Amino acid sequence: MAIRIGILGVIAVALFCALFFRLWALQVISGERYLQDARNNQIRPYRVQAPRGTILDKDGEVLVSNQPGTQVQIWPAAFKELSKAERNAEISELASLLRLKPKDIRKELRSHADDPLTPVTIKTSVRDDKVNYLYEHQADFPGVEIQPVQLRSYEGGRIAPQLLGYVSEITREQLESRTKDGYAAGDRIGQTGLEATYDRYLRGIAGEGQVRVDALGRVTSDREYSQLPQPGYSVRLTIDADLQRAAEDALAYGIRLAIENDEFYADGGAIVAMDPSDGAILAMASSPSYDPKTFVGNVSRKELNALRAPEANLPQLNRAVSGIYPPGSTFKPVTALAALQEKMLDPYEPIQCDPSITVDGQKFVNWDPYTNMAMNLAPAIERSCDTYFYRVGLRFYERKDSPLQKWARRMGFGSLTGIDVGPEEEGLMPTPAWRRRHFTTEIDKIWTSGDSVQLAIGQGDLLTTPLQMTRFYALLANGGKLVEPHLVRQIEEPKADGQAPVIVRPIRPKPPRDLNLDPNALRIVQEGLFDATHGVNGTSASIFGPFAVDIAGKTGTAEKFQKLPGYGSIGGRLLDQSWWCGYGPTEKPTIAVCALIENGGHGGTAAAPAAMKLFAKYFDVTETPVVPVNSD
Amino acid sequence: MATRVLNGHARSQAPGEVATFVRHLDYLLFAAAGGLVAYGLWVLSAVTRNDVAGDADYYVVRQGINVGLGVVALVALTAVNPELYRRLRRPLYGLLIALLAIVFVADAVRGSQRWIDIGFFRFQPSELGKLILIVCIAGFLADRSRRLEEWRTVLSAVGLGAFAAFLVFIEPDFGTALMYVGALAAALFIAGVPWSRLAALGVTAGAAAITLLWVFPTAGIDILKPYQVQRLTGFLNPDLDPSGTTYNATQSITAVGSGGLNGRGVAGATQTNLNYLPEHATDFIFSSLAEQRGFLGASILLLLYALIVWRGIKIIAVAPSLFTAVVAASIVFVLVTQIFVNIGMTIGIAPVTGIPLPFVSYGGSSMLVSLMMVGLLQAIHVRGRLAGRS
Repeated sequence: MAIRIGILGVIAVALFCALFFRLWALQVISGERYLQDARNNQIRPYRVQAPRGTILDKDGEVLVSNQPGTQVQIWPAAFKELSKAERNAEISELASLLRLKPKDIRKELRSHADDPLTPVTIKTSVRDDKVNYLYEHQADFPGVEIQPVQLRSYEGGRIAPQLLGYVSEITREQLESRTKDGYAAGDRIGQTGLEATYDRYLRGIAGEGQVRVDALGRVTSDREYSQLPQPGYSVRLTIDADLQRAAEDALAYGIRLAIENDEFYADGGAIVAMDPSDGAILAMASSPSYDPKTFVGNVSRKELNALRAPEANLPQLNRAVSGIYPPGSTFKPVTALAALQEKMLDPYEPIQCDPSITVDGQKFVNWDPYTNMAMNLAPAIERSCDTYFYRVGLRFYERKDSPLQKWARRMGFGSLTGIDVGPEEEGLMPTPAWRRRHFTTEIDKIWTSGDSVQLAIGQGDLLTTPLQMTRFYALLANGGKLVEPHLVRQIEEPKADGQAPVIVRPIRPKPPRDLNLDPNALRIVQEGLFDATHGVNGTSASIFGPFAVDIAGKTGTAEKFQKLPGYGSIGGRLLDQSWWCGYGPTEKPTIAVCALIENGGHGGTAAAPAAMKLFAKYFDVTETPVVPVNSD
Repeated sequence: MATRVLNGHARSQAPGEVATFVRHLDYLLFAAAGGLVAYGLWVLSAVTRNDVAGDADYYVVRQGINVGLGVVALVALTAVNPELYRRLRRPLYGLLIALLAIVFVADAVRGSQRWIDIGFFRFQPSELGKLILIVCIAGFLADRSRRLEEWRTVLSAVGLGAFAAFLVFIEPDFGTALMYVGALAAALFIAGVPWSRLAALGVTAGAAAITLLWVFPTAGIDILKPYQVQRLTGFLNPDLDPSGTTYNATQSITAVGSGGLNGRGVAGATQTNLNYLPEHATDFIFSSLAEQRGFLGASILLLLYALIVWRGIKIIAVAPSLFTAVVAASIVFVLVTQIFVNIGMTIGIAPVTGIPLPFVSYGGSSMLVSLMMVGLLQAIHVRGRLAGRS
């Protein structure tokens, strides 16, 4: 038995020796060769962005689509294998080839240092000759990869850039909060506007898979997709591209008129057109504007800085939803309706419209110092008599439950409209409670008669967005229903040429909410608004009187404190914001419009002609020749 | 100790016996096994660091629990006199067959029926079966120690082993079936079956293998599944089909080779990290070890194995009876074959069969049985030393 145990031992020793020798041969003698094999044997996961969905106007005109581009990327994992000297040499060579600063490339790499398996894009939109050079000299650029990329193409040109928004690589913060929604590093994501709101439909599903590469990062296998890229859905807007262009032209026209009328600070504005029946936005323009191409491909720091410089006056701001302004006289119909609903005002009761009134020692003047007569509601709206409404404001002051503010809130002021593009401002609806909360000194905390008087004519602390005002005029037009403004009609899946797209999801806004207003109250306010555009004393009658379609609407000239250069420690002065809001045709309104020209002077000077220009396009009728008039 | 027995009371004898028992344990064997388990946990933790997102210690924590269970079993087996199994060899064989048959009733896991699911963990009966078969065959041969030259005895022993191996084989788990045959061969060899009988058996087995792997497939009769034949013979010419059946072997060789003398470290081991080694926690854990720690790291493991095997062979020699000697020899031989086949498969000198690396591969059944083997060896060692002393 001892012999047999010995034999067993010998077998064991022999087997162990075999293992040792084989290991020695593999690892120590041929180790280098296998190490090379292993380095040539690397799998890289990759992610291909799906073609982003297009954005269409209501008739299917393409506003935003895609164009192919090329981007140069560095794979940090592969790049790290190089020595420091090699890395530096490669960075400076890349920098000179791509006209970048080596510093910027390093910065980009550092900012992605914690994620070595995602390529770092160092330049997008690379010219073909440079791409070819890189392909031919790939061995000299280990770890560098050239990737096709889908870039946004703005078929509509400079149309509505603030509304459409832009797309860029996902930021670190976004990645942290949105990884669970399927976003990954390197994804391109809608940053603002509709691109951001509807990103989940537009982006599609990114392709994912893996590819084998050698030690130099050259691809040695076919791409194996575990998930094929699926193109994004199209988003069809409620916007009419032609009307949108007209709105943008109208804004520019309004600003030009203001300047011609010596309102030299006029430098921006917004215009909104809405279907009063359901809140669908037909056009929404904001000025100043910018070229959305700024954000395509390589975003030049210089261009970006220019865009964001103070003198550019915030071209990326969508003033229609994010700009807040005192509404001035365009707010008077709110005051009128609230007073009528509360039975605090008889529409046929004559109230004095005089050049000024003095309340608690403070003098409040009418914009027109030459009128001095008693009138009832409709003519007061027609002429936009301030003193009439001051007196109504005083009646509200008598009431301790802030009924004007309550009605205004019900009509959508002081809160978000819920439109599907942001960031939306809610404005400010001042109340005694707000005053107590907001101010620190005892004297400021008190709601005075002056506050009620100012609020009645849309001044004081009141702030509204052009969109809120448009929605209110839509409410006047549709018989007292508050609509939810929205920009998107449906999400659809494009089909091959000639076939109708498949609707993936219709966008249903909240149904209009009927405020159950007294029809008589509404009718009298509507009459006042019609007289304002047609009566002999109407504030925009010179513009809409001769207009081919019956339009009803109201001017506004709202004082707003504007910071201006050259005003020393005071910092600026009050400037008139030019407003016009209204709707048409009066019999059966199909469109409500608000125009605002910042620092544009009187409502009739700048905003009313701008709105008229939009109506002319919408109804396809000739424009009224504009004779500038000074009227509130 | 002896003095305590002499002048002590009867009550104090029990602790005295325990102390004697404990003193006669093989501490080198414990050191080797403990070293292997610790080294194996360290390797496993490095190899599986990136396998479960967010839980780098997923595998190593579970393996730690397996070790805990295994240690309990080890202590139990050390305490029990192995002669008990000899008396129980018939019921034990019945249990073995029942365990092996039960997996055919249980659900198929991963396409082959190797596992029994008992709630908290899935148990692989063929692993435990290895140990049961060893004691059954050893018991059978020890009972007929005077008739070992008879064909009847030899063929009966072969029949016992071959039937169990066949059940494992049709699960299908070719690797473990091979271990059963190895255990049988070692038992026959150490029990003292004459050389002429052994030679005849060897020739028959060789002929059967050739028939199975070459003649039948050529003739179009598939007893082994074609992939099994390819995996078994593929290592002979690995470049034939590098992306197909020998893909794992080729990738494994590349991984081992790329480790060089010092290894590529945990982060630099691309073959492991990029999942070129699919079963790198279980069957191919050695490749990952060799890639990460190089020749030096692999050698430490081999030396620890050598230590265990050396102690095992010593224990065959000190075994108190033929039965225990045969058990010890079978255990040693099974360990050696398992180590050789597993490591050999990762470096291209043995066929690719799915058998785990003892003490190192992730898996409860394998760890449990490996530690039970150590327990059984200890039990034999202690009793051999005590018998030798008296």
